[in-house]
Amino acid sequence: MHAQFRGHENDSDVIVARGLCKVFHTTKRRPGFAGALKSLVAPERIEKTAVQDVSFNVSRGELLAMLGPNGAGKSTTIKMLTGILVPSAGEARVAGVVPYEERERNAARIGAVFGQRSQLWWDLPARESLNILRDIYGVPRSEHRARLREFDEMLELSEFWNTRVRHLSLGQRVRCDLAAALLHDPPVVFLDEPTIGMDVVAKEQVRQFLRYEVEQRGRTVLLTTHDMTEVTRLAGRVVLINDGRIVMDDSLEEIRRRFGGTWQVHVTFVDPYAANHLDGDSSLAGLRIVRREGPRVVFGPDEKHAPAVHEALKRITQRYQISDLALEQNDLEDVIRVAFQRQKLHEGADVPPSNIAEISAAGVHER
Amino acid sequence: MTVHAHVAPSGTSRVATGITRYWGIARITPLGELLAPPRLSANALRLGVQIFLVVCLWRALYAQTSHVAGLTREQAVTYAVLATLAGRMRILDRRYGRDTVLQHMHFGTVIYWFLRPLAPRRYYVLRALGDQVYGFTWALVGYAICLWAGAVSLPSSTASMTAFVVSMLLGQMILYHVMQLIDLTCFWTLHNSAALLILQFIQNLLSGSYSPLWFFPDWFNTMSSFLPFQFTLNVPLSLYAGIIPPSDAIQQLCFQGAWVVGLALLTKWLWRRAARRIISQGG
Repeated sequence: MHAQFRGHENDSDVIVARGLCKVFHTTKRRPGFAGALKSLVAPERIEKTAVQDVSFNVSRGELLAMLGPNGAGKSTTIKMLTGILVPSAGEARVAGVVPYEERERNAARIGAVFGQRSQLWWDLPARESLNILRDIYGVPRSEHRARLREFDEMLELSEFWNTRVRHLSLGQRVRCDLAAALLHDPPVVFLDEPTIGMDVVAKEQVRQFLRYEVEQRGRTVLLTTHDMTEVTRLAGRVVLINDGRIVMDDSLEEIRRRFGGTWQVHVTFVDPYAANHLDGDSSLAGLRIVRREGPRVVFGPDEKHAPAVHEALKRITQRYQISDLALEQNDLEDVIRVAFQRQKLHEGADVPPSNIAEISAAGVHER
Repeated sequence: MTVHAHVAPSGTSRVATGITRYWGIARITPLGELLAPPRLSANALRLGVQIFLVVCLWRALYAQTSHVAGLTREQAVTYAVLATLAGRMRILDRRYGRDTVLQHMHFGTVIYWFLRPLAPRRYYVLRALGDQVYGFTWALVGYAICLWAGAVSLPSSTASMTAFVVSMLLGQMILYHVMQLIDLTCFWTLHNSAALLILQFIQNLLSGSYSPLWFFPDWFNTMSSFLPFQFTLNVPLSLYAGIIPPSDAIQQLCFQGAWVVGLALLTKWLWRRAARRIISQGG
């Protein structure tokens, strides 16, 4: 008997989460020996809300990056969507299946990699692990061979797949784990910090593989990561999560626009007087002064009518005599940090996540 | 993209797919050992030395006497050698492969057991079965060599042999459930590996693995009779060695059968609790 699924979902939505909540019940340990005894006799039970009212959809062939600090609720959300955890409240559907109600059916439709936890058998060559998974998932041998060939071309697995997993480097092991997760051709893939601790070369290889799987194979991917380069390269859409709540769910472009400022121009004026009398200059319309220290001024784009960076440079250099000029473009890490900082500023004000950017667009540029 | 696990073929090919699937899982631990020749030869050497020392020890103990605790020298030596060989049936050490339940709990990899189109309990059973069959092959080869070398005697009658075979099978089933209980406690006692070691020691002691239970005081045997451990090894080996006559076999087999059923129900209930613990606390 399956729960009636409520909430809005389109035909193209492969992952649907509606009001997901997860509350963990644990006992609190008291300090010292007497405390331990007391805890044994009369344990103090506490509740911890890990995820609260999380709702989002992911369409077919979309890669959604879920970002947030440690303990924000990313992994708990993924565990609910993979069927490992049962939500305390709310509903989820993955590829048409309620994951925590039909765990085995859901398992056949999803692949998952959980960071540094490997599903490969430590004592066997990686290829044997892939063969065992082939048998577990019931993949026909011809398909298995073809898929391994494809994975090998992209991830160069054959260089090391006859090595025991215990002897593989982290990058090699994660590549094998990715292959293991996709071996049964699942339409949905959950990746919980898959590239954590990997070197840049291996990371890039994994990114290319993921991009191929999303763009060419049409897989739906939910990725959690702390690596902003990964987000920039792979994700079209980002969900920011903090303290178990979704802070923002928008396209990467939109998040950059709202929180990034995207660039700063550092200018040193020849004439310090000019540097101190810039207000009201119509040629600088759309620019705001981020910082001013004597002849040195930092310009950034205004929230509205901001010119493109090359236009801003042109206006400044045509109007003023300058002795030094530097352009600094904000990276995604700064953007995300600003988004979280603004959320913190407004978390007491009971503001819906989507309105945070508008309300806080007061020209503050946190760096 | 296709979804495989539930697009099951029908008839013969379905059975074949099932066998392939289960065979693939059952052979995991043996494969790890077979692919490591040094480990394989070390295990063979260890078993050989162990049997040699056991024979020497028990013969030395009987040097001045012909009967101890109602056992003749041949009976005692046969019991001790068979106990050593039976130990090989479950000696496959998964710790090398980070593949014990405790390690899976510790490293968090147990979540993958719940992410496959196969119930964790079934996966556990298949793994245990594979380990058991592989260990049994070792024990059988060892038994043949020991028989040839005169380290063990044949049972006194066909009835004893038959009773031993059935009893050993039931004993291994009890042992499987006992080991499973120990493994399942890992879902609750992740930081208590010392308690697990003590539990394993008690299991070995009370099963008669270290020494036949006939050598222990009466109070010890009375206590042991209320527990399942003696039925894993002491009873089958006593039937083989003729310490328990074939006429008493039926009663012992009934006790064993009752323990199998009781423990199976208990482990089934515990698996449900363990799964609930995973789904409420995560990996």
